[in-house]
Amino acid sequence: MKTFKLKDMNTIADPPIQEKRPKKESTPKGISTRKSISILIGGAAGTGIMTLENILTDAFKRSGYFVFSTKEYMSRVRGGSNTTLLIISNTPVNAPSWFVDLFIALDTEALGHVRERLRDDTLVMADESIKDEALNITAMPMLQSVKELGNVRYANAYVAGVLFGLFKLNKEMLTQSVKVLFEEHNFVENETAMQDGFYYAEELTSVNVPKLPSVSENTQEHMHLMSGSTAAGFGFLAGGCNMITSYPMSPSTGVLNFMASMSTEFDIVVEQSEDEIAALNMVLGGWYSGARAMTSTSGGGFALMTEAISLSGVSETPAVVYLAQRPGPATGLPTRTEQGDLNLAIHSGHGYFGRIVLAPGDLQECIDYGYLAFELADRYQMPVMYLSDQYLADSISMIETVDFSVYEQRRYIQTTEASYVRYAYNDKGISPRGVPGFGEGLIVSSSHEHDERGQSTESYQIREKMLQKRQEKVALTISEAFKPKVMGQGSIAIIGWGSTKGVIEEVLKELNDERLFQVHFSWVHPLNPEHLKVLKESKTNIIIENNISGQFADSLKGYGINSEHRILQANGFSFFTDQLKEKLIKMLKELK
Amino acid sequence: MSHPLDRPNVKRAWCPGCGNFGIIKLIEEVLTELKLDPKKIVIVSGIGQASKTPYYIDTHMFCGLHGRALPVATAIKVSNPALTVIAEGGDGDMYGEGGNHFMHTVRRNPDIVHIVHNNMVYGLTKGQASPTSQKGFETPVQVKGVGSEPFNPISVALALHAGFVGRVNIGNYEHAKMVLKEAFKHKGYALVDIFQPCVVFNKVNTYKWFKDNTYELDSSYKNNDLSSAMAKALEFEPIPIGVFYKVQKNTFESYQRGEDRSALVEGKHDLKKLQTLFTAY
Repeated sequence: MKTFKLKDMNTIADPPIQEKRPKKESTPKGISTRKSISILIGGAAGTGIMTLENILTDAFKRSGYFVFSTKEYMSRVRGGSNTTLLIISNTPVNAPSWFVDLFIALDTEALGHVRERLRDDTLVMADESIKDEALNITAMPMLQSVKELGNVRYANAYVAGVLFGLFKLNKEMLTQSVKVLFEEHNFVENETAMQDGFYYAEELTSVNVPKLPSVSENTQEHMHLMSGSTAAGFGFLAGGCNMITSYPMSPSTGVLNFMASMSTEFDIVVEQSEDEIAALNMVLGGWYSGARAMTSTSGGGFALMTEAISLSGVSETPAVVYLAQRPGPATGLPTRTEQGDLNLAIHSGHGYFGRIVLAPGDLQECIDYGYLAFELADRYQMPVMYLSDQYLADSISMIETVDFSVYEQRRYIQTTEASYVRYAYNDKGISPRGVPGFGEGLIVSSSHEHDERGQSTESYQIREKMLQKRQEKVALTISEAFKPKVMGQGSIAIIGWGSTKGVIEEVLKELNDERLFQVHFSWVHPLNPEHLKVLKESKTNIIIENNISGQFADSLKGYGINSEHRILQANGFSFFTDQLKEKLIKMLKELK
Repeated sequence: MSHPLDRPNVKRAWCPGCGNFGIIKLIEEVLTELKLDPKKIVIVSGIGQASKTPYYIDTHMFCGLHGRALPVATAIKVSNPALTVIAEGGDGDMYGEGGNHFMHTVRRNPDIVHIVHNNMVYGLTKGQASPTSQKGFETPVQVKGVGSEPFNPISVALALHAGFVGRVNIGNYEHAKMVLKEAFKHKGYALVDIFQPCVVFNKVNTYKWFKDNTYELDSSYKNNDLSSAMAKALEFEPIPIGVFYKVQKNTFESYQRGEDRSALVEGKHDLKKLQTLFTAY
C-alpha cells in the first residue's frame, strides 16, 4: 500500500516564531488632534439594533471617519433593553466611553436603562410618542414614518437618516450603505425611511448637535471594519486551522459561525459536538491524525474540557482552545464581559504539563495570535489557550489591510521510519511527531505515563525521565515567550493584559502625564522573568484588570514584581475611557 | 499463543482466564484475514481493562480518557478517511462514562468499528456494577443488588438508526469472527457488543451463562428491517447474537468533506485566497 511522504518538515531547530510584522505606530501621536463623538442607541432585542450598527459603522466609514462600536445586551432573544455605542472620530478609536454625547432611545425602556450614562448636555432623541417620558427629549416622528411604510423594522434606516441629517453629512454615503445591506430586502422602503429621518433632522435648528470633526470622504477605503471574533477567525485560518469542533456558548460562538462560513471556501471540518468534552477530545483526535484543530468555548464549557487539556499535556498532542471569557461563577452574566478565566486557563487540568496562554489586545493581535496559537501548539506539542472576552469578541473597530504572506505556514510533522518511537528522548524535550499513515512507524499516543514507545509504564525511573522531558518543553516555551509591549517611558508602569490594551492606551494619551508608561502583555503564560525587568526598574506599578481579584497581578507577584496597586472592575462591563481615567487619577493622588 | 500482530516486548496486564484474551485474538485474526495494513489502522481506547487492548496490538493507537474514545476516533477518521479506525473499550467506559458520545456518534455515522467488551461488571475498579449489570446483581457498592434497569446498547443503537448493530459472545468464537468481519466491511458506524466473562468479579454471567443464555440469529432472520431488529434487541434469556441490523447510510466524513478526500495533514490553506477574502471583508 502507498505510504505518503510529507513535505516542508519543520523542526524545533528552526528559528523561533517571532513577530514578523514591521513595527509601526498605528495611531497618530498626541491627543490634541483627536475629535470624536459618542452615540448610544438603545432598544429591545430582536428589533434590529444590530442592523442599525451595521448600517452606521459602514456609512460613517464611507464618510471618512474612524469608527468603533461596542454593544451590551441581555441574555434573551427578544425584548429587554440593549445598547450599541458608536464612537465616530478623526483618529483611530479603541475603547468605549461611559458618558455619551448623543442618545437615541428606540423605546421607553431604553430611557431608563441608560439614564446614568447621560450628561446634562447629552442630546437625547426619541419617538414623539414617548417624548414626555423624560425631560429634554428631542422628538422625531419615527413611528409615524415607518408605520406608513408598513414595518417598524424600517426604524433602523430612519434613525440612520436622522443621524446623517443632524450632522449634515452627505446622504449619498448612507444610501450606499443602506443599499449594500438591503439590496434584496425592501431597499425602496428602507431608503424612504432613511430619507424621512434625514430631512426631518436636517431641519432641526433649535437643538444643540454635538460637532463632528471634518474629514474627507472615502479616505478609509483601505481600512476594514470587523469584530474581534472575525479577526480571531482570520488568524486561525492563517494558522492553517482545518477543523473546529465546538459546543455553542456565548460569547465564543462568533468564531464558530465565522469558521463555518469559511468552510465553503476551505477544506475545514466544522462539527457541533454533543458537549465540550467531546469537542476537545475531537480536537485531540484531529491533531493526532494531522489536522490543525481547535475548539471555541467560554468559561463553563472550558471547565468541562479540563480533563482533555490534561490529556493534551501528557500525550503531547497539540490543542488550540479559543476561550472567550464572560463573568462566572457558573452561568454568571452570560452576555457580559470579564477577564475572569486567566487562572482557570493557566491552572486547568490535573498533573504537571506545559501550556501557553495568549491574550490578544486588538484586531491586529487577534489575527497574529490566532496564527501563533496553531504554530505554537504544533511546535511544542501542548495545549495553547487563546483568551478573548465578550468585549473584545463583539466590539467592532477598524484595521488596515493585513499582509497574509507573513504568516509562514510551517508544519512540524515528520514522515516516520520503521524504528520510530513517539516519545523519543532528546536534548530538546520535543520528540518528533508523526501521524498515522505517513511513514513506516507506528504512532502510539498514551494518556498513561509511558515509555519512549508510548507503552504505559509504572517504572519510577521512566516517570522521572518523562517528567523531565515535558519540563524541558516548558523551558523552551519560556524562552519563546513574547515580550510585553512597552509603550512610552516613565516611572509609573500601567500594566494590562488582553482586551484592556486599547482603553489603557487611550487613557494614558488623554492624561498625557510624563510619569506614566504602558506595559501590555498579550502572551500571558508562561512569563519570561527577563521580560519583567522593566517592572522591577519602575518606581510604581499599577495593574488594571477586568476581574475582581487581580489574577494577572497575582501571577506577577509570584515573579517578585510589586503588584499591590490594582484597578479592578468586575461588574459585567469592560473599562470605559472616561471612568478609567477618573480611577487612575484617584489612585495617582493616593500614591503621593 | 502468539500472533504476528502482537506488539513485541509487552506483557498483558489481564487476569488469567479473562475474556479479553479471546477478544484480542479475535481482533488480530480478523484484521489479518481482511488483509488490512497495520500501518493504516488506528485503535482508539478509553480507560479500563478492555481499553488496554491497543497497547498489545501492533497498530497505531491513541489511548485517551475514560469514556472519550468515540469523539477521538471520529475526528481521526474525518481527518484521514484512508485509515481504518476502531474505538474500543468496556461497557462502563462506552455506555456509562461515554454514554453521551455513544448516542451522538451513532447519529453522526463515522466509518468506524465500535468494539465494546461487555462483561456486565467493572473490572479495573474492582467489582462494582456496570450499566449493563442485571437487576439484583450484588457488589460491594450495590449491596442490595442493582436497582436500575440494565442498559441495552442494541436497542439504543437501533433507536438512533445505527447503520450496523451486532452482538457476539466471545465463547462462540467462529460466529463472533464472522460478525466482526462483517462490521469491518460495513461502510459507516458499526457497533459490535461482545459478551465476555469477568472471571474475578462476575460470578453470575460466566462462560457457561453466556453459552446457555444466547442463541445465534439464523439465515431466516432478515437484518434490514428496523422493527424486527428492535423486537430481537428486546429479547432476554435467551439473548440473540449476530447482526441485528445493517443498512448503508451517508458517512460523517463524506458529509463533512465529500468522498475520497485526502488527509487534512496534506493540505494548507491558500494564503492568497485568504488575502482576497480579508481584503473584501
